[in-house]
Amino acid sequence: MPPLNYFVVESPDDVGRRAYERVAGDVLQDLDLIKVIDRLHIYVDPKIPIFVAAGVLRHMPRAIYLGDFANVKRGDTEIVLDIGDETYLAPLLRVLWEIYGKENVEQPDRFTIVLPAGMAGEEDLEQVVVADPSETLHKDVIYAMQYMAPEGFKVRRQYIREGKFYYVASEDTLPDDVVERWVMPLFEKMGVTL
Amino acid sequence: MTTLVPVTYKGGVYRHDEIMDLIDDLGGYVVQKHVMAQDVVLQSFVPRDDIELIRAVAKPLAGQVTEAPLVGTEIAVVSPSLEIHHLPHTSCDIAEYLRRSGAKTNMVGLARGFGKRIANLNDEERDVINEHDLAVYMLGNFEECIQHKFPVLRRGIHVPIVVTGAPDRETLMRIIDPPVEGYVGGIGRIMHRFKRPEELAKLDELVDEVSRVLDARRDVLAKDPLSVFPPRLMTIIEEELPEVTLLTHPTPVTVQMEGLRVKLPYEYYAPEIRSLEVTEGVTVGDIAEVTPSRMRNYILIRVKPFSETRILV
Repeated sequence: MPPLNYFVVESPDDVGRRAYERVAGDVLQDLDLIKVIDRLHIYVDPKIPIFVAAGVLRHMPRAIYLGDFANVKRGDTEIVLDIGDETYLAPLLRVLWEIYGKENVEQPDRFTIVLPAGMAGEEDLEQVVVADPSETLHKDVIYAMQYMAPEGFKVRRQYIREGKFYYVASEDTLPDDVVERWVMPLFEKMGVTL
Repeated sequence: MTTLVPVTYKGGVYRHDEIMDLIDDLGGYVVQKHVMAQDVVLQSFVPRDDIELIRAVAKPLAGQVTEAPLVGTEIAVVSPSLEIHHLPHTSCDIAEYLRRSGAKTNMVGLARGFGKRIANLNDEERDVINEHDLAVYMLGNFEECIQHKFPVLRRGIHVPIVVTGAPDRETLMRIIDPPVEGYVGGIGRIMHRFKRPEELAKLDELVDEVSRVLDARRDVLAKDPLSVFPPRLMTIIEEELPEVTLLTHPTPVTVQMEGLRVKLPYEYYAPEIRSLEVTEGVTVGDIAEVTPSRMRNYILIRVKPFSETRILV
Protein backbone atom coordinates (compact mmCIF):
# COMPACT_ATOMS: atom_id res chain seq x y z
CA MET A 1 0.00 0.00 0.00
CA PRO A 2 1.53 3.34 -0.99
CA PRO A 3 2.10 5.88 1.81
CA LEU A 4 -0.10 8.56 0.28
CA ASN A 5 -1.92 10.92 2.60
CA TYR A 6 -5.20 9.82 1.08
CA PHE A 7 -5.74 6.76 -1.07
CA VAL A 8 -9.19 5.38 -1.75
CA VAL A 9 -10.48 3.01 -4.42
CA GLU A 10 -14.25 2.79 -4.75
CA SER A 11 -16.21 0.30 -6.79
CA PRO A 12 -19.56 -1.46 -6.53
CA ASP A 13 -17.71 -4.77 -7.12
CA ASP A 14 -15.73 -5.55 -3.96
CA VAL A 15 -13.39 -8.12 -5.56
CA GLY A 16 -12.61 -5.65 -8.34
CA ARG A 17 -12.11 -2.85 -5.82
CA ARG A 18 -9.47 -4.84 -3.93
CA ALA A 19 -7.80 -5.87 -7.17
CA TYR A 20 -7.64 -2.25 -8.32
CA GLU A 21 -6.17 -1.18 -5.00
CA ARG A 22 -3.29 -3.57 -5.68
CA VAL A 23 -3.02 -2.50 -9.32
CA ALA A 24 -2.84 1.20 -8.38
CA GLY A 25 -0.29 0.52 -5.65
CA ASP A 26 1.90 -1.52 -8.00
CA VAL A 27 1.75 1.05 -10.79
CA LEU A 28 2.63 3.97 -8.51
CA GLN A 29 5.50 1.98 -7.09
CA ASP A 30 6.76 0.87 -10.50
CA LEU A 31 6.73 4.38 -11.91
CA ASP A 32 8.20 5.86 -8.72
CA LEU A 33 5.28 8.24 -8.22
CA ILE A 34 4.53 7.56 -4.57
CA LYS A 35 6.52 10.57 -3.45
CA VAL A 36 4.94 12.74 -6.11
CA ILE A 37 1.24 12.07 -5.50
CA ASP A 38 -0.26 13.32 -2.26
CA ARG A 39 -3.87 12.26 -2.58
CA LEU A 40 -5.61 9.87 -4.97
CA HIS A 41 -9.19 8.76 -5.27
CA ILE A 42 -10.26 6.18 -7.85
CA TYR A 43 -13.78 5.23 -8.76
CA VAL A 44 -14.37 2.39 -11.19
CA ASP A 45 -17.72 0.95 -12.20
CA PRO A 46 -17.76 -1.59 -15.04
CA LYS A 47 -21.55 -1.45 -15.31
CA ILE A 48 -21.67 2.17 -16.51
CA PRO A 49 -18.74 1.70 -17.62
CA ILE A 50 -16.45 4.39 -16.17
CA PHE A 51 -13.03 4.80 -14.56
CA VAL A 52 -12.30 8.06 -12.75
CA ALA A 53 -9.07 8.93 -10.98
CA ALA A 54 -8.65 12.28 -9.26
CA GLY A 55 -5.68 13.40 -7.26
CA VAL A 56 -3.46 16.09 -5.87
CA LEU A 57 0.27 16.29 -6.41
CA ARG A 58 2.84 17.12 -3.78
CA HIS A 59 5.29 19.95 -4.43
CA MET A 60 6.98 19.57 -7.75
CA PRO A 61 10.64 18.57 -7.62
CA ARG A 62 12.84 21.59 -8.32
CA ALA A 63 15.16 21.99 -11.29
CA ILE A 64 18.66 20.47 -11.10
CA TYR A 65 21.51 23.01 -11.33
CA LEU A 66 25.09 22.28 -12.32
CA GLY A 67 26.27 23.35 -8.86
CA ASP A 68 24.11 20.61 -7.28
CA PHE A 69 26.29 17.76 -8.44
CA ALA A 70 29.57 19.27 -9.71
CA ASN A 71 32.40 21.33 -8.28
CA VAL A 72 33.63 24.22 -10.43
CA LYS A 73 37.37 24.99 -10.20
CA ARG A 74 38.32 28.13 -12.08
CA GLY A 75 41.90 28.41 -13.40
CA ASP A 76 43.59 31.05 -15.57
CA THR A 77 43.22 29.21 -18.84
CA GLU A 78 40.66 26.55 -18.07
CA ILE A 79 37.72 25.64 -15.86
CA VAL A 80 37.64 22.14 -14.43
CA LEU A 81 34.30 20.57 -13.47
CA ASP A 82 34.59 17.83 -10.92
CA ILE A 83 31.46 15.63 -11.24
CA GLY A 84 30.16 14.19 -7.99
CA ASP A 85 27.13 12.31 -9.32
CA GLU A 86 26.92 10.91 -12.82
CA THR A 87 23.10 10.83 -12.98
CA TYR A 88 22.83 14.08 -14.89
CA LEU A 89 26.10 13.85 -16.81
CA ALA A 90 24.50 13.24 -20.20
CA PRO A 91 22.16 16.27 -20.07
CA LEU A 92 25.04 18.35 -18.66
CA LEU A 93 27.24 17.55 -21.64
CA ARG A 94 24.42 18.51 -24.01
CA VAL A 95 24.04 21.87 -22.24
CA LEU A 96 27.80 22.53 -22.27
CA TRP A 97 28.12 21.64 -25.96
CA GLU A 98 25.46 24.22 -26.68
CA ILE A 99 27.23 26.93 -24.69
CA TYR A 100 30.90 26.21 -25.53
CA GLY A 101 30.71 24.17 -28.74
CA LYS A 102 31.48 20.48 -28.89
CA GLU A 103 35.17 20.97 -29.76
CA ASN A 104 35.77 23.04 -26.59
CA VAL A 105 34.31 20.57 -24.09
CA GLU A 106 36.90 18.02 -23.07
CA GLN A 107 36.24 15.02 -20.90
CA PRO A 108 39.52 13.34 -19.96
CA ASP A 109 37.72 10.87 -17.70
CA ARG A 110 34.22 10.05 -16.49
CA PHE A 111 34.25 12.47 -13.59
CA THR A 112 36.09 15.44 -15.11
CA ILE A 113 35.11 18.02 -17.70
CA VAL A 114 37.55 20.70 -18.87
CA LEU A 115 36.25 23.94 -20.40
CA PRO A 116 38.16 26.95 -21.75
CA ALA A 117 38.25 29.98 -19.44
CA GLY A 118 37.40 33.52 -20.36
CA MET A 119 34.12 32.99 -22.17
CA ALA A 120 30.96 34.98 -21.53
CA GLY A 121 28.57 33.73 -18.84
CA GLU A 122 31.03 31.52 -17.01
CA GLU A 123 30.50 33.29 -13.68
CA ASP A 124 26.98 31.82 -13.57
CA LEU A 125 28.11 28.32 -14.42
CA GLU A 126 26.84 26.88 -11.11
CA GLN A 127 23.38 28.26 -11.85
CA VAL A 128 22.99 26.57 -15.25
CA VAL A 129 19.82 24.43 -15.30
CA VAL A 130 20.80 20.94 -16.36
CA ALA A 131 17.51 19.05 -16.02
CA ASP A 132 13.96 19.72 -14.89
CA PRO A 133 12.27 16.56 -13.59
CA SER A 134 8.85 18.26 -13.45
CA GLU A 135 8.85 18.42 -17.26
CA THR A 136 8.32 14.69 -17.57
CA LEU A 137 6.32 14.34 -14.38
CA HIS A 138 3.00 15.34 -15.90
CA LYS A 139 3.45 12.77 -18.62
CA ASP A 140 4.33 10.13 -16.04
CA VAL A 141 1.24 10.83 -13.93
CA ILE A 142 -1.12 10.58 -16.91
CA TYR A 143 0.70 7.46 -18.14
CA ALA A 144 0.22 5.90 -14.70
CA MET A 145 -3.53 6.52 -14.90
CA GLN A 146 -3.71 4.98 -18.39
CA TYR A 147 -1.76 2.03 -17.08
CA MET A 148 -4.15 1.53 -14.13
CA ALA A 149 -7.41 1.99 -16.03
CA PRO A 150 -9.04 -1.05 -17.65
CA GLU A 151 -7.48 -1.44 -21.08
CA GLY A 152 -10.74 -1.37 -23.00
CA PHE A 153 -11.60 2.09 -21.72
CA LYS A 154 -10.21 3.89 -24.72
CA VAL A 155 -12.33 7.08 -24.62
CA ARG A 156 -10.65 9.36 -22.13
CA ARG A 157 -10.31 12.86 -20.82
CA GLN A 158 -7.34 14.02 -18.82
CA TYR A 159 -6.34 17.17 -16.96
CA ILE A 160 -3.29 18.17 -14.98
CA ARG A 161 -2.74 21.74 -13.81
CA GLU A 162 -1.68 23.55 -10.66
CA GLY A 163 -1.02 20.43 -8.70
CA LYS A 164 -4.37 18.78 -9.43
CA PHE A 165 -5.11 16.09 -11.96
CA TYR A 166 -7.94 13.90 -13.11
CA TYR A 167 -8.35 11.12 -15.63
CA VAL A 168 -11.71 9.81 -16.81
CA ALA A 169 -12.01 6.87 -19.16
CA SER A 170 -14.81 4.77 -20.56
CA GLU A 171 -15.62 2.33 -23.29
CA ASP A 172 -18.51 4.53 -24.44
CA THR A 173 -18.66 8.21 -25.31
CA LEU A 174 -18.15 10.37 -22.25
CA PRO A 175 -21.09 12.68 -21.42
CA ASP A 176 -20.56 16.46 -21.60
CA ASP A 177 -21.02 16.87 -17.86
CA VAL A 178 -18.56 14.13 -16.95
CA VAL A 179 -16.40 16.48 -14.87
CA GLU A 180 -19.35 17.87 -12.87
CA ARG A 181 -20.94 14.47 -12.41
CA TRP A 182 -17.98 12.20 -11.76
CA VAL A 183 -14.82 14.17 -11.09
CA MET A 184 -15.91 17.03 -8.84
CA PRO A 185 -17.50 14.79 -6.20
CA LEU A 186 -14.19 12.91 -5.87
CA PHE A 187 -12.27 16.15 -5.32
CA GLU A 188 -14.87 17.15 -2.72
CA LYS A 189 -14.27 13.89 -0.86
CA MET A 190 -10.58 14.74 -0.76
CA GLY A 191 -11.40 18.20 0.56
CA VAL A 192 -10.23 20.00 -2.57
CA THR A 193 -12.11 22.08 -5.11
CA LEU A 194 -11.19 21.77 -8.75
CA MET B 1 1.32 -52.94 -22.99
CA THR B 2 3.70 -50.65 -21.11
CA THR B 3 2.26 -47.40 -19.90
CA LEU B 4 4.29 -44.36 -20.78
CA VAL B 5 4.24 -41.59 -18.21
CA PRO B 6 5.34 -37.99 -18.68
CA VAL B 7 8.43 -37.03 -16.67
CA THR B 8 11.00 -34.24 -16.59
CA TYR B 9 14.68 -34.96 -16.21
CA LYS B 10 16.82 -32.13 -14.86
CA GLY B 11 20.55 -32.50 -14.72
CA GLY B 12 23.87 -31.33 -16.03
CA VAL B 13 25.08 -31.37 -19.63
CA TYR B 14 27.83 -33.84 -18.70
CA ARG B 15 26.84 -37.38 -19.82
CA HIS B 16 23.21 -36.42 -20.36
CA ASP B 17 23.37 -38.30 -23.66
CA GLU B 18 23.52 -41.49 -21.60
CA ILE B 19 20.13 -40.65 -20.12
CA MET B 20 18.75 -39.91 -23.60
CA ASP B 21 20.05 -43.26 -24.84
CA LEU B 22 18.59 -45.02 -21.82
CA ILE B 23 15.14 -43.47 -22.38
CA ASP B 24 15.38 -44.50 -26.02
CA ASP B 25 16.43 -48.07 -25.15
CA LEU B 26 13.60 -48.41 -22.67
CA GLY B 27 11.13 -47.52 -25.40
CA GLY B 28 10.48 -43.98 -24.19
CA TYR B 29 10.60 -40.70 -26.09
CA VAL B 30 12.30 -37.38 -25.44
CA VAL B 31 9.84 -34.78 -26.72
CA GLN B 32 11.75 -31.66 -25.74
CA LYS B 33 15.35 -30.95 -24.85
CA HIS B 34 16.49 -27.65 -23.39
CA VAL B 35 20.13 -26.93 -22.84
CA MET B 36 20.65 -23.88 -20.65
CA ALA B 37 24.34 -23.19 -19.99
CA GLN B 38 25.42 -26.16 -17.84
CA ASP B 39 21.91 -27.56 -17.34
CA VAL B 40 19.76 -29.86 -19.38
CA VAL B 41 16.02 -30.36 -19.10
CA LEU B 42 14.48 -33.31 -20.92
CA GLN B 43 10.72 -33.56 -21.22
CA SER B 44 10.04 -37.17 -21.93
CA PHE B 45 7.69 -40.12 -21.86
CA VAL B 46 9.11 -43.18 -20.13
CA PRO B 47 7.67 -46.58 -19.14
CA ARG B 48 6.16 -46.35 -15.64
CA ASP B 49 8.09 -49.41 -14.39
CA ASP B 50 11.45 -47.97 -15.45
CA ILE B 51 11.32 -44.61 -13.66
CA GLU B 52 13.32 -46.02 -10.75
CA LEU B 53 15.95 -47.36 -13.13
CA ILE B 54 16.35 -43.92 -14.72
CA ARG B 55 16.58 -42.39 -11.24
CA ALA B 56 19.31 -44.88 -10.34
CA VAL B 57 21.31 -44.15 -13.49
CA ALA B 58 20.83 -40.39 -13.01
CA LYS B 59 21.90 -40.40 -9.37
CA PRO B 60 25.70 -40.27 -9.93
CA LEU B 61 25.10 -37.49 -12.48
CA ALA B 62 23.08 -35.47 -9.92
CA GLY B 63 20.07 -35.67 -12.22
CA GLN B 64 16.50 -35.51 -10.98
CA VAL B 65 13.47 -37.23 -12.41
CA THR B 66 10.12 -35.67 -11.54
CA GLU B 67 6.62 -36.30 -12.77
CA ALA B 68 5.47 -33.61 -15.16
CA PRO B 69 1.77 -33.96 -15.92
CA LEU B 70 1.77 -31.59 -18.89
CA VAL B 71 4.54 -33.11 -21.04
CA GLY B 72 3.41 -33.71 -24.60
CA THR B 73 0.74 -31.01 -24.59
CA GLU B 74 0.58 -27.68 -26.37
CA ILE B 75 -1.35 -25.04 -24.47
CA ALA B 76 -2.55 -21.63 -25.66
CA VAL B 77 -2.31 -18.90 -23.04
CA VAL B 78 -4.87 -16.40 -24.24
CA SER B 79 -4.42 -12.81 -23.13
CA PRO B 80 -6.89 -10.03 -24.00
CA SER B 81 -4.02 -8.09 -25.58
CA LEU B 82 -0.25 -7.85 -25.56
CA GLU B 83 -0.34 -4.39 -23.96
CA ILE B 84 1.44 -3.46 -20.73
CA HIS B 85 -1.84 -4.06 -18.86
CA HIS B 86 -1.43 -7.82 -19.32
CA LEU B 87 2.27 -8.27 -19.94
CA PRO B 88 4.74 -9.29 -18.65
CA HIS B 89 3.03 -10.26 -15.38
CA THR B 90 0.12 -12.69 -15.38
CA SER B 91 0.58 -13.77 -19.01
CA CYS B 92 4.28 -14.57 -18.81
CA ASP B 93 4.13 -15.90 -15.27
CA ILE B 94 1.33 -18.30 -16.13
CA ALA B 95 2.96 -19.40 -19.40
CA GLU B 96 6.26 -19.96 -17.63
CA TYR B 97 4.69 -21.94 -14.82
CA LEU B 98 2.86 -24.23 -17.25
CA ARG B 99 6.13 -24.70 -19.11
CA ARG B 100 7.81 -25.84 -15.91
CA SER B 101 5.25 -28.60 -15.68
CA GLY B 102 6.26 -29.76 -19.12
CA ALA B 103 3.75 -28.08 -21.41
CA LYS B 104 4.69 -26.25 -24.59
CA THR B 105 2.89 -22.94 -24.25
CA ASN B 106 2.11 -20.38 -26.88
CA MET B 107 0.89 -16.97 -25.91
CA VAL B 108 -2.03 -15.76 -27.97
CA GLY B 109 -2.47 -12.00 -27.60
CA LEU B 110 -5.83 -11.07 -29.05
CA ALA B 111 -6.01 -8.04 -31.30
CA ARG B 112 -9.22 -6.78 -29.65
CA GLY B 113 -9.76 -8.94 -26.61
CA PHE B 114 -9.94 -6.06 -24.14
CA GLY B 115 -13.01 -4.15 -22.98
CA LYS B 116 -16.47 -5.28 -22.04
CA ARG B 117 -18.60 -4.33 -25.02
CA ILE B 118 -15.86 -3.97 -27.64
CA ALA B 119 -14.09 -7.32 -27.09
CA ASN B 120 -14.03 -9.73 -30.01
CA LEU B 121 -12.16 -12.67 -31.49
CA ASN B 122 -11.19 -12.90 -35.15
CA ASP B 123 -11.09 -16.02 -37.30
CA GLU B 124 -7.30 -16.32 -37.25
CA GLU B 125 -7.20 -16.17 -33.46
CA ARG B 126 -10.02 -18.71 -33.25
CA ASP B 127 -8.25 -21.14 -35.59
CA VAL B 128 -4.88 -20.74 -33.86
CA ILE B 129 -6.44 -21.44 -30.45
CA ASN B 130 -8.23 -24.47 -31.86
CA GLU B 131 -4.90 -25.95 -32.94
CA HIS B 132 -3.92 -26.42 -29.27
CA ASP B 133 -4.79 -29.10 -26.74
CA LEU B 134 -6.21 -26.58 -24.28
CA ALA B 135 -6.67 -22.84 -23.93
CA VAL B 136 -6.12 -20.90 -20.70
CA TYR B 137 -8.12 -17.66 -20.84
CA MET B 138 -6.75 -14.98 -18.58
CA LEU B 139 -9.55 -12.59 -17.80
CA GLY B 140 -9.66 -9.56 -15.56
CA ASN B 141 -10.92 -8.22 -12.28
CA PHE B 142 -14.62 -7.58 -12.75
CA GLU B 143 -17.36 -10.19 -12.68
CA GLU B 144 -19.53 -7.95 -14.85
CA CYS B 145 -16.90 -7.75 -17.62
CA ILE B 146 -16.12 -11.48 -17.61
CA GLN B 147 -19.80 -12.36 -17.84
CA HIS B 148 -20.31 -9.94 -20.69
CA LYS B 149 -17.25 -10.60 -22.83
CA PHE B 150 -16.47 -14.29 -22.35
CA PRO B 151 -19.25 -15.60 -24.66
CA VAL B 152 -17.65 -13.57 -27.46
CA LEU B 153 -14.11 -14.74 -26.72
CA ARG B 154 -15.10 -18.43 -26.69
CA ARG B 155 -17.15 -18.34 -29.90
CA GLY B 156 -16.04 -21.15 -32.21
CA ILE B 157 -13.49 -22.58 -29.74
CA HIS B 158 -13.84 -26.34 -29.43
CA VAL B 159 -10.76 -27.17 -27.38
CA PRO B 160 -11.11 -27.41 -23.57
CA ILE B 161 -10.95 -24.02 -21.85
CA VAL B 162 -9.66 -23.10 -18.38
CA VAL B 163 -10.70 -19.61 -17.28
CA THR B 164 -8.83 -17.47 -14.77
CA GLY B 165 -10.07 -14.21 -13.28
CA ALA B 166 -10.13 -12.20 -10.07
CA PRO B 167 -13.60 -13.38 -8.87
CA ASP B 168 -13.51 -16.63 -6.91
CA ARG B 169 -14.04 -20.02 -8.52
CA GLU B 170 -17.70 -20.27 -7.50
CA THR B 171 -18.49 -16.88 -9.02
CA LEU B 172 -16.73 -17.83 -12.25
CA MET B 173 -18.73 -21.06 -12.38
CA ARG B 174 -21.94 -19.13 -11.82
CA ILE B 175 -21.39 -16.45 -14.46
CA ILE B 176 -19.99 -18.61 -17.25
CA ASP B 177 -22.72 -20.30 -19.19
CA PRO B 178 -22.49 -22.84 -20.79
CA PRO B 179 -19.82 -24.12 -18.41
CA VAL B 180 -16.18 -24.53 -19.45
CA GLU B 181 -13.85 -27.34 -18.43
CA GLY B 182 -11.88 -25.55 -15.70
CA TYR B 183 -11.91 -22.47 -13.47
CA VAL B 184 -9.27 -20.81 -11.32
CA GLY B 185 -10.39 -17.79 -9.32
CA GLY B 186 -8.23 -15.18 -7.65
CA ILE B 187 -5.93 -14.50 -10.63
CA GLY B 188 -6.99 -11.29 -12.27
CA ARG B 189 -5.02 -8.41 -13.68
CA ILE B 190 -1.95 -8.44 -11.48
CA MET B 191 0.71 -5.83 -12.08
CA HIS B 192 3.57 -7.49 -10.25
CA ARG B 193 5.45 -10.73 -10.44
CA PHE B 194 3.80 -13.76 -8.82
CA LYS B 195 6.04 -14.26 -5.81
CA ARG B 196 3.95 -14.39 -2.64
CA PRO B 197 3.10 -17.86 -1.34
CA GLU B 198 -0.63 -17.36 -1.99
CA GLU B 199 0.08 -16.26 -5.57
CA LEU B 200 2.32 -19.25 -6.21
CA ALA B 201 -0.37 -21.47 -4.70
CA LYS B 202 -2.76 -20.08 -7.31
CA LEU B 203 -0.34 -21.08 -10.07
CA ASP B 204 -0.15 -24.59 -8.61
CA GLU B 205 -3.92 -24.66 -8.55
CA LEU B 206 -3.93 -23.68 -12.21
CA VAL B 207 -1.50 -26.48 -13.11
CA ASP B 208 -3.70 -28.96 -11.20
CA GLU B 209 -6.80 -27.71 -12.97
CA VAL B 210 -5.15 -27.94 -16.39
CA SER B 211 -3.85 -31.46 -15.60
CA ARG B 212 -7.31 -32.53 -14.46
CA VAL B 213 -8.89 -31.29 -17.69
CA LEU B 214 -6.22 -32.93 -19.84
CA ASP B 215 -6.48 -36.20 -17.89
CA ALA B 216 -10.20 -36.24 -18.64
CA ARG B 217 -9.35 -35.77 -22.31
CA ARG B 218 -6.76 -38.57 -22.12
CA ASP B 219 -9.41 -40.88 -20.65
CA VAL B 220 -11.66 -40.17 -23.60
CA LEU B 221 -8.77 -40.82 -26.00
CA ALA B 222 -7.97 -44.11 -24.27
CA LYS B 223 -11.40 -45.45 -25.24
CA ASP B 224 -10.59 -44.98 -28.92
CA PRO B 225 -6.77 -44.84 -29.09
CA LEU B 226 -4.88 -42.92 -31.72
CA SER B 227 -3.42 -44.92 -34.61
CA VAL B 228 0.07 -43.88 -33.52
CA PHE B 229 1.42 -42.29 -30.35
CA PRO B 230 2.38 -38.71 -31.41
CA PRO B 231 5.89 -38.82 -29.80
CA ARG B 232 6.60 -41.94 -31.87
CA LEU B 233 5.56 -40.11 -35.02
CA MET B 234 7.83 -37.26 -33.95
CA THR B 235 10.81 -39.63 -33.72
CA ILE B 236 10.08 -40.99 -37.19
CA ILE B 237 9.84 -37.49 -38.68
CA GLU B 238 13.07 -36.42 -36.98
CA GLU B 239 14.85 -39.49 -38.32
CA GLU B 240 13.52 -39.32 -41.86
CA LEU B 241 13.51 -35.55 -42.40
CA PRO B 242 16.97 -34.18 -41.52
CA GLU B 243 15.78 -30.64 -42.34
CA VAL B 244 13.91 -30.63 -39.03
CA THR B 245 17.14 -30.74 -37.07
CA LEU B 246 18.42 -27.68 -38.92
CA LEU B 247 15.55 -25.50 -37.67
CA THR B 248 16.37 -23.01 -34.93
CA HIS B 249 13.00 -23.25 -33.18
CA PRO B 250 13.15 -24.51 -29.59
CA THR B 251 10.74 -27.28 -30.55
CA PRO B 252 10.93 -27.86 -34.31
CA VAL B 253 8.44 -30.69 -33.94
CA THR B 254 5.94 -29.93 -31.20
CA VAL B 255 4.11 -32.84 -29.68
CA GLN B 256 0.43 -32.46 -28.92
CA MET B 257 -1.99 -34.91 -27.38
CA GLU B 258 -3.55 -35.81 -30.70
CA GLY B 259 -0.94 -34.79 -33.20
CA LEU B 260 2.13 -32.78 -34.04
CA ARG B 261 3.08 -29.36 -35.27
CA VAL B 262 6.01 -29.52 -37.67
CA LYS B 263 7.69 -26.18 -38.20
CA LEU B 264 8.52 -26.67 -41.87
CA PRO B 265 6.77 -24.92 -44.77
CA TYR B 266 3.60 -26.80 -45.67
CA GLU B 267 3.78 -26.25 -49.42
CA TYR B 268 7.22 -27.91 -49.73
CA TYR B 269 7.14 -30.66 -47.15
CA ALA B 270 3.53 -31.85 -46.80
CA PRO B 271 3.69 -34.46 -49.63
CA GLU B 272 6.96 -35.82 -48.27
CA ILE B 273 5.54 -36.15 -44.76
CA ARG B 274 2.38 -37.86 -46.04
CA SER B 275 4.46 -40.47 -47.82
CA LEU B 276 6.76 -41.20 -44.85
CA GLU B 277 6.55 -44.82 -43.81
CA VAL B 278 5.59 -45.32 -40.15
CA THR B 279 5.84 -49.07 -40.31
CA GLU B 280 5.83 -51.56 -43.12
CA GLY B 281 3.10 -50.65 -45.57
CA VAL B 282 1.66 -47.81 -43.47
CA THR B 283 2.39 -44.20 -44.33
CA VAL B 284 1.71 -41.05 -42.33
CA GLY B 285 -1.00 -40.17 -44.84
CA ASP B 286 -2.87 -43.39 -43.96
CA ILE B 287 -3.12 -42.68 -40.26
CA ALA B 288 -3.08 -38.91 -40.00
CA GLU B 289 -4.34 -35.76 -41.65
CA VAL B 290 -1.52 -33.49 -42.76
CA THR B 291 -2.98 -29.99 -42.91
CA PRO B 292 -1.65 -26.44 -43.12
CA SER B 293 -1.47 -24.67 -39.77
CA ARG B 294 -2.81 -21.15 -39.23
CA MET B 295 0.39 -20.48 -37.33
CA ARG B 296 2.81 -19.14 -39.98
CA ASN B 297 3.19 -21.73 -42.74
CA TYR B 298 3.72 -24.69 -40.45
CA ILE B 299 2.32 -28.18 -40.87
CA LEU B 300 -0.28 -29.53 -38.49
CA ILE B 301 -0.61 -33.30 -38.24
CA ARG B 302 -3.76 -34.72 -36.69
CA VAL B 303 -3.49 -38.43 -35.93
CA LYS B 304 -6.70 -40.31 -36.69
CA PRO B 305 -8.21 -42.67 -34.11
CA PHE B 306 -8.13 -46.45 -34.45
CA SER B 307 -11.88 -46.58 -35.12
CA GLU B 308 -11.34 -44.61 -38.32
CA THR B 309 -8.19 -46.26 -39.70
CA ARG B 310 -8.34 -49.76 -38.17
CA ILE B 311 -4.55 -49.44 -37.85
CA LEU B 312 -2.65 -49.36 -34.58
CA VAL B 313 1.08 -48.83 -34.90
